[in-house]
Amino acid sequence: MLGDITPVSESVHFIGAFDPKIRTFDIIMKTANGSSYNSYLVRGSKGVCVMDTVKKEFSEIFFKRLELLCEYDEILYIVLHHLEPDHSGALLELMKKAPQAKLIISGRAVMMLKGLIKTDITFEVANTGKTISLGDKTIEFLSTPFLHWPDTMSSFLHEDKILFSGDIFGSHYYDERLFDDEVGDFSYAFKYYYDHIMRPFKQYVLEALRLYERFEITTIAPLHGPVLRSNPNFYIQEYARWSSEARFRKHVFSHKMLSVFYMSSYDNTHKMAEKITEGADSIDGLVASMYDLASLDESNMIDLLEESDAVVIGSPTINGDAVKPAWDLLSCMAYLESGGKVGASFGSYGWTGEAPEMLHDRMRWLKFRLPVEPIKIKLIPTEDELDKCYLFGIEIAEITMGKMVEMEI
Amino acid sequence: MAVVYLQDDNIRVSVSHGKTIRQIAQRVGASMEFGCRVGDCSTCVATIKSGMEYLSPKNLKETKALEMLSSDTTNLRLMCQCSIDGEGEIIISYNI
Repeated sequence: MLGDITPVSESVHFIGAFDPKIRTFDIIMKTANGSSYNSYLVRGSKGVCVMDTVKKEFSEIFFKRLELLCEYDEILYIVLHHLEPDHSGALLELMKKAPQAKLIISGRAVMMLKGLIKTDITFEVANTGKTISLGDKTIEFLSTPFLHWPDTMSSFLHEDKILFSGDIFGSHYYDERLFDDEVGDFSYAFKYYYDHIMRPFKQYVLEALRLYERFEITTIAPLHGPVLRSNPNFYIQEYARWSSEARFRKHVFSHKMLSVFYMSSYDNTHKMAEKITEGADSIDGLVASMYDLASLDESNMIDLLEESDAVVIGSPTINGDAVKPAWDLLSCMAYLESGGKVGASFGSYGWTGEAPEMLHDRMRWLKFRLPVEPIKIKLIPTEDELDKCYLFGIEIAEITMGKMVEMEI
Repeated sequence: MAVVYLQDDNIRVSVSHGKTIRQIAQRVGASMEFGCRVGDCSTCVATIKSGMEYLSPKNLKETKALEMLSSDTTNLRLMCQCSIDGEGEIIISYNI
């Protein structure tokens, strides 16, 4: 059903599509009532700009809405803030219908566009500060990469004070009343979207928020879910708070945090964990703690990993592998910012002892800093071996506190 | 041998001629971000604080990718594209 064409402002209309049936988004996200693929049409005195398109199977309704508002030859620009197929699905058809329109994408989108469209099309690149004019309307572009693909960007319609944010500030929440002050309570979906899509990129979120600061924003028009017009600053502050490191307890008490996660069959890996923790904790300015993975659920894993400056994982080797809870712990990194954390691994073993190396390799791909080789001990650790564990803990803690690592390769 | 100082991880590493910075970063466990690893996505753009002369010259692909990112690419390199090509200290900064 087409429904009314919803004005966002005098010169901006919603021309996106609603998808009340979708229940799983991007494999990892659930939505209890669907979502929307938001697209907007901006009209100026000299022509029209189309902000993003929709998922391909929703093209028909997108074009119907668009056709109620403009002729194709009025379209001066097509802006893609993000190239993911749910926003670029109708691009090729739109460009055929409006061949005079200039496509605008970010610099990082260039190679992605070729990968998605599989044909040569002309485009202009927009970096921060580039503007386009529709006569009496000016759109300024902002480079806001990695939110949540490398290509993402935002734009600001100066006269209407509308921020076209891209996926940032989105929600997978279906409600055709569209505006945040008219839809149902979507707070949970807004936070859930942040946690699953933006949380791994929170430094980039903070960079984007710094770029937005110089604008007086009255409306945020994201690519999914409600348009945020009641109090845009509230949503901006929520993103700032969730992305800020300052909220962590360790910052309140000015220390760094090292977490030792372990599992143990016969107390041997546990004994190693205790000594490593003891060694690490002897370093000033750092608090080391240990956690038995047998009793840690996923949400607590994610929170502890996020706050830890150093992550040390211990696992025995069972049937030539690390134990499943150790892999489960590392799989939680998909929800978190990668890079920068110090990592290390250890474990006691009976036969083959691959687990510490396997964890080390996995942590390398997850962009942990891995300045020390894994430590592994055959069955019951001796006093000498426990002393080595203590020194291992000290070394990791010192590096976490800023000691330079010197290597030769 | 050249010395590469990966500033954001405080890692100093002595390396031989010909290795790419990507190979070095991944070997020592630096927190540098990589995307496509073939010079297309620009994820691994970094600033060379000093020692540009000890790196291989920019190839065409890298030049084009950097020009898409900034009008001043003098000190920028893609870490997947440049390799050690001299003996001296190279200081690299790569986090935001």
